Amino acid sequence: MKKILLEYANVFAYTFTGLIFGLAFFLLFINFYHMQELAQEIDISEYNINNKMNVQNKIETIKNNISVYDQSTYTGTLNTYGLNTVKIKLQSCLDIIESDSLMQYFELNEINIKDSYNFILDYRNEILNDCLVMQIKSMQNIDTITSLPDFNLISPYIDLNVSSVLTSTDYIQNNIENSDHYNFSTDANKNNFFNLVNDSYSSTMNNYINTLDMLVEISNWYRSIVVGG
Amino acid sequence: MKRIFNGLFYILKFLLLVGSFGLTLFILIRMNVRLDKDMISILSQLIPFLLLFVVFIINMIFKQIGVTKNLFYNLTCCLVFAIIIFVGYRAIFDTNMVLNQKYGYGIDFNYFDNFIAYIRIMLYGLLIANILFMFREKDKNVDKSKELKKA
Repeated sequence: MKKILLEYANVFAYTFTGLIFGLAFFLLFINFYHMQELAQEIDISEYNINNKMNVQNKIETIKNNISVYDQSTYTGTLNTYGLNTVKIKLQSCLDIIESDSLMQYFELNEINIKDSYNFILDYRNEILNDCLVMQIKSMQNIDTITSLPDFNLISPYIDLNVSSVLTSTDYIQNNIENSDHYNFSTDANKNNFFNLVNDSYSSTMNNYINTLDMLVEISNWYRSIVVGG
Repeated sequence: MKRIFNGLFYILKFLLLVGSFGLTLFILIRMNVRLDKDMISILSQLIPFLLLFVVFIINMIFKQIGVTKNLFYNLTCCLVFAIIIFVGYRAIFDTNMVLNQKYGYGIDFNYFDNFIAYIRIMLYGLLIANILFMFREKDKNVDKSKELKKA
């Protein structure tokens, strides 16, 4: 009886050790894989060339549109305080967009997960907060601007877009922050669903370009009222 | 060859146990300091390390060859402690994990916290296996050879 019990104890001891051995190897491999996955770098040089051209074209369009108004030569009937304020606000947004901290992302040839994450943070802090909320959205509370022609037409467009882009990068930021946990993302998974580095960057870039499109629309409206008024 | 490896892993497991305990203690203390929590709360995480250390000492003193000469057990111990050190290292130095950068504490507590449950599972598992290995039938061949020598 004693012999059988001792043999059982030995069998259980080996079973426990084997299970722990398996778990330890599993953790070792998943940690190596996770570390490699987070250190992944993706070549975006071609993608960035197109984006840079696209963004520069939009910036030029906005610059041309707001340059039609010059207070010293303006002879129209519209409220010059309102026109000045809109121009200053659009110019502030342009300064933010053209700042080195944002333009650096178009110079990158390779990105890793930290670049994607920093791009989201800079986009949210500088474009969404400093430009959209502080400059563009605040136009709706300034009487001299709201009294400008057709502002009631452009205002719902601003509302809709601002509320859309303000939350559209939340899930990307959350995804990257959750990447500190283990996950079983395989190559097939990355190709079919969501590549954390590449897709995060391109999603943020899409939002960035959508925001610029909105600024172009606002500047078009501005140009039309200055030229028409 | 087996004896050489066993000796190597036997010594290594003590060194790695001390290293993994030290690293875990460092991270847990930093974690608690950040949250202003009582240090007693980290004791439950450290108890399996201490129990395992006590059991290792008992194995050594009473020369329990079921454990001390068990290559598989010693290898598993080394692997477990090495992984704890590796995870601690990553929590501090792997800057690709963005929460390390976001919170700026110098240690990715979020990542390490995920691993605490695994640490406890593995250490308690090793402890149970060690206790079970202690119960071992006496080697009759050894006894016989001793009797022959006496004769």
